[in-house]
Amino acid sequence: MSPEFSEKTKKKIEEIVARYPQKEAAILPVLHITQQEFGSISAEEEKLVARILGIKPISVREIVTFYTMLSRESLGKYHIQVCSNLSCSLLGAGNFVDYLVEKLGIEPGETTPDKKFTLSTVECLGACERAPCMLINFNYYGEMDPKKVDEILDGLK
Amino acid sequence: MQEKANEMIKIFIDKEPVEAEQGTTVLKAAERAGIHIPHLCYHPAFPPEGSCRMCLVEIEGFPKLELACSTVVKDEMKISAKSERVVKARKAVLEFLLAEHPLDCPICDKAGDCKLQDYYDEYGLFESQFKEAKEKREKKLKIGKSLILDQERCVLCTRCVRFLKEVTTTQDLGVFHRGVHSSVNIYEGAAVENNYSGNLAEICPVGAITDEDFRFKTRSWFLKEGESICPLCSRGCNILIEYHPGFPRFEVPKRVYRIKARENPEVNDFWVCDRGRYGYSYLDEHRADKIIMNKIEGENVLTWENISEYLGEKIKRLSSAKKTSGIALILHTWLSNEELFLLHKIFKDDLKVEKIFFADLPQGEADGYLLTSETSPNRRGAQEIGFDIKPVDLDALASGTDFLLAFGPFLSGLFSPKDLKAALNTVKRKVLFSSYTHELNSLFDIVLPVALIAEKEGSLTNVEGKVQGFQPALEPPGESLPEWKVLSDLGKELGIDSKFYSELPSPEAILIEMGKKIPFFKKKND
Repeated sequence: MSPEFSEKTKKKIEEIVARYPQKEAAILPVLHITQQEFGSISAEEEKLVARILGIKPISVREIVTFYTMLSRESLGKYHIQVCSNLSCSLLGAGNFVDYLVEKLGIEPGETTPDKKFTLSTVECLGACERAPCMLINFNYYGEMDPKKVDEILDGLK
Repeated sequence: MQEKANEMIKIFIDKEPVEAEQGTTVLKAAERAGIHIPHLCYHPAFPPEGSCRMCLVEIEGFPKLELACSTVVKDEMKISAKSERVVKARKAVLEFLLAEHPLDCPICDKAGDCKLQDYYDEYGLFESQFKEAKEKREKKLKIGKSLILDQERCVLCTRCVRFLKEVTTTQDLGVFHRGVHSSVNIYEGAAVENNYSGNLAEICPVGAITDEDFRFKTRSWFLKEGESICPLCSRGCNILIEYHPGFPRFEVPKRVYRIKARENPEVNDFWVCDRGRYGYSYLDEHRADKIIMNKIEGENVLTWENISEYLGEKIKRLSSAKKTSGIALILHTWLSNEELFLLHKIFKDDLKVEKIFFADLPQGEADGYLLTSETSPNRRGAQEIGFDIKPVDLDALASGTDFLLAFGPFLSGLFSPKDLKAALNTVKRKVLFSSYTHELNSLFDIVLPVALIAEKEGSLTNVEGKVQGFQPALEPPGESLPEWKVLSDLGKELGIDSKFYSELPSPEAILIEMGKKIPFFKKKND
């Protein structure tokens, strides 16, 4: 069974595609919508997007694998992305990741069995002034330490 | 754009003044002047990519080093292609390219053909500063009919990806992931399966894509190359034949190991199709190398010295008895323009022979790009020379033929052995010119081994009417000779218009004569 977009999403995609001189140019916003709708972009979703934009699935794969914000595996409800770049590492991102690994019982790249959390280490999040920093879904959290993260995670349902 | 293309400007490369076309790039201008600027990702068939960074040069007035492949020349531009700064930068680029490279040259099939290896020899020869472990990737990924991808050796120049995007438009390969994890790969369940896949191994500048057809059969440095024209369809793609000249005390299993494309923007660009690339076994397998005499009266021993005398005598006897209607000819269109012209002159113009048939391979399927449906290389030539290309009619052949001259091995594929035998048995004397040892040979009195296109000199007319000359790339096996030699001797022997034949020492001379008689062939000599 191949996936299909809901009628509402289809309309939204049509609107987005109409903004660009070439259909293919709409690929990033369309992929974001796809991820929202299906939770991840597996081969089936790649083919769906390729069909809508009139390109080959391999071109979609190139983009999905390039951007870390697009995921081919289904993620937990909360996607925790910890920066492992220079500024954050200097201010203790390494220890912070170790703490999360211990607390959640999963390695970076894995999802907890209850599908609540997915942990990833990522490159620079562009918030060096608040290092070490992390993203939970689309929200920034800066100047992290174990105490602070306990509070944040406990607050998540 | 065309107006601009011809305007020449002056630039300086390493202080030497060089003429360059307006609008061209530094790399192309240098290449034109015979200066090689190292590059991996740039390929003349595609727009500059600028990903490998090997072609860095210093240009006066530019603060940073620039890419020769994508920088457009300007009048009076002063370029240093080998200054200390440039060499240092190239070294640094190489060091990064090699940081993730497995350096397995001793077991790499591309060793000797690899630009990375060449540049390391020229610019590198350093100890790597990288102590980190290299990424592990796929080393033996089958990506197509006969292609193997080694992702560890890949330098991500994307020539293969761009070829499949721009030339075949099949987009079978892509670059997945990012940064150090980037790798070229196929989409699952798909493969590079177009008729041009073999070009990938040829344009891959390193050992990433290798060809199973060639892999581990020999080392590329043993091979020599000769220029030729592909005879497997009527496109006339320009090719290089790579052959093994042999070892002094060790027999190599075959001569030809690989076919490569030879650049010709007017015919095949930089490419050759897989049929032409992999179909080279016809050059080595079942080759005839001796004159075979199955049936011959008296004590005659035929050699190439007396063959034209022998054939001439038979023909003269029929001709003087006004019985040239008893002569039949079976030709094919692997013969060169010159050979077909001599045949036309001798048999059609001078002897007025009417039974002239053509036996060729059956038509194939065109692929919409280079491969044509016509499976032989010179049908157009035969038409331009004036032949009416009639298929073989066995009934006509069997009625009242005294003397048959047949060319080529294709006859056997067209009729059942029984029908063929029955028809040929009615012919009194029959001679076959063929390059192969074949069952067909037993049906003829005499079989003369002849050279293939790769082994002789001449010209072919391709499907578009382009006349292309070729020179021998290989030695013909054993006693084989090119047909044109036999035919010009025969023409002389027959004594009709003998002055004409006496001045034909080479195919080149024949082509000049052809130009005088047939306007179509004149343009080549202009």
